[in-house]
Amino acid sequence: MLNTALRRHAPFWISIAAGIAIWEIAGRSTSQAFMVPFSVTIKALWQLLLTGEFIRQFFDSAELFLTGFMLSLAVGMPLGMLLARVRVLRIGVEPYIMILYATPMVALIPFILSMMGFGFAPKVLVVFLFAVFPVIYNTVEGARSIKPELIEVAQSFRSTEWALWRDVMVPYTLPYAMTGVRQAIGRALVGMIAAEFFLSSTGLGQLIMTASQNFDTAGVFASVLVIALIGVALMRAGLVIEQHFARWRQ
Amino acid sequence: MTQQQTAAKAGDDGEPRIRVRGLGKHYGALEVFKNINFDVGKREIVAIVGPSGCGKTTLLRCIDGLLPHDVGEILVGDTRVTEPIAGVAMVFQHFGLFPWKTVSENVAYGLRMAGAPKAEIARKVPEFIKLVGLAGFENAFPYQMSGGMQQRCGLARALAVEPNVLLMDEPFAAVDAQTREILQFELLRIWQERPTAMVFVTHSIEEAVLLGHRVIVLKGRPSSIHETITIDLPEPRTRETLQHPRFAVLRERVWSTLMAEAREAEFVLER
Repeated sequence: MLNTALRRHAPFWISIAAGIAIWEIAGRSTSQAFMVPFSVTIKALWQLLLTGEFIRQFFDSAELFLTGFMLSLAVGMPLGMLLARVRVLRIGVEPYIMILYATPMVALIPFILSMMGFGFAPKVLVVFLFAVFPVIYNTVEGARSIKPELIEVAQSFRSTEWALWRDVMVPYTLPYAMTGVRQAIGRALVGMIAAEFFLSSTGLGQLIMTASQNFDTAGVFASVLVIALIGVALMRAGLVIEQHFARWRQ
Repeated sequence: MTQQQTAAKAGDDGEPRIRVRGLGKHYGALEVFKNINFDVGKREIVAIVGPSGCGKTTLLRCIDGLLPHDVGEILVGDTRVTEPIAGVAMVFQHFGLFPWKTVSENVAYGLRMAGAPKAEIARKVPEFIKLVGLAGFENAFPYQMSGGMQQRCGLARALAVEPNVLLMDEPFAAVDAQTREILQFELLRIWQERPTAMVFVTHSIEEAVLLGHRVIVLKGRPSSIHETITIDLPEPRTRETLQHPRFAVLRERVWSTLMAEAREAEFVLER
C-alpha cells in the first residue's frame, strides 16, 4: 500500500525537488541583483514572517481578494443564470460581456483610478472585473445546456418560477459555474496584485514593489512564491468543491 | 379523493375524463395535426400509435398543457387546458429524472410542487417507491440505476401525486426489450390497483394492443385520426392476453392500418 502510493507520487516529488535544485543552482550562479537561490528566498521569507510585516500585508491582500472575489460570485452566478433563462436579456447583454471579457483589465485601471481615486472600493472593483467574467460566461454556458426535458418536467408538475430555480436551474448549473469560479480564482489574484501595484500600494503587492525598489530580490521572490502557492491551493480547493457539486454527473 | 365511486371494471363509464374537440396545432407554417376528436373515460387506457413524426408526442404535450394548441379545445373534467393542471401527470420517454436527486427526492418532487405537507410526503414517498418495486433504492442516484429502474422511478413520481389522468410519452421506448415487457405488466398491475384515465403514446403496436382499451391510429400530414380500434380483449390484461387468439387479430388489424400509412410517410420523407 505504502509502496504503491510512494511510486505513484514519486514523479511529482522528484519533479519538485529537481525544480528547487535548478532554482538553487541558477540562483547561485547569477548576480543576486537578478535572482536569488531557493535557500535565500526561504530565509528572506522567514525574516519577513518574524517581523510580522508579512502577516499584516497578507491579511490586507486577503481582504481585498475575498471582497472582490465574493462579489464576483454574488453577481456572476445569478446574472449568468438570469441571462440563460431570459433570451432577450442574453442577446442584449452578451456583446458587452464578450467585449469586457476580451479586454485586458489592466488597461482599464487608469480609467478606474481617475473615476474612483485611491480608496479600497476601486481596488475591489479591479479584482471584481478580473474575476467576474469567467463566472458569468461559464454559468451562462452551463445553464443553457440544461436539457429542455427537465424544464418540461418542472412545468408539467406545475413548478413555480422560484421552485424551478431552486430545484432545477441552480443544482444543474453549479458544477458548470464552478469551472468558471476556478478560472476566476487565478484572475482575481492577478487583479489583486495589479490593483496593489497601480492603485494605492498595499498588501503583498506593496511588499513586492518596495522590495523591488530596494533591490531586495530575495524579498520579491519570497512574496511571489507565497502568492503562487496560495493560487495553487485555492484552485485545488475549487476543484474539490466542483467535484462535490458534480457527484451526480457520471 | 377516491375515484372508486363507480365500481365499474375497465373501460368507459359515465362521463369521459378527457375530451379532445377539433384540436389542431401548427409549428409556424407546418401543420402538425388537425381535427383531432376523442374522449378518454375515467378508467380507460387509450393508446395512440402513428408513424414517426406524426405528432403523437406533440398531441400528448398539448393535453398536458405543456404546448399551446391553435384550434379546438381540450377538457380534463370541467377544466379547459391552457397550461399544466393539477390531477394530470406525465411519464417521459427519457425518464426526466433530476440526476442530482435521489430516488426518494425525485418521487417527492411532484408532491412538493403540489404543495403537499411534509408528513404526507414522508408517508407517500416510500409507499409509491414500494409500489413500483424500487424498495431498497431510496437513496440511489439515477446514474446508479438501469434504464428500467429509472423509469420505475419516473412512474412513481407521476403516481405519487395520485393523478386522475396519466399521460405516457413512449415511456418504455428507451429500455431494452425484456425490461420493456416486464414494465408493461407492472404498469397493468399498478393500473388495476389504481385505475385512471390514461393516454399512452407508443411506437409499438403490440404494446398499444396489450395496454389499450382503444387504439387510435394517427395518419397523414398534417395527421388526423385515421381509425379508432376498440380492443375487446378480456380483463384484466395479463401475460395470457398475449396468447389470446383475438390479440393476434387485433395486432394484425392495427399493423395493416399503420403500415399502409408508414409507407406513405416514408415516401413523403424521401421527397
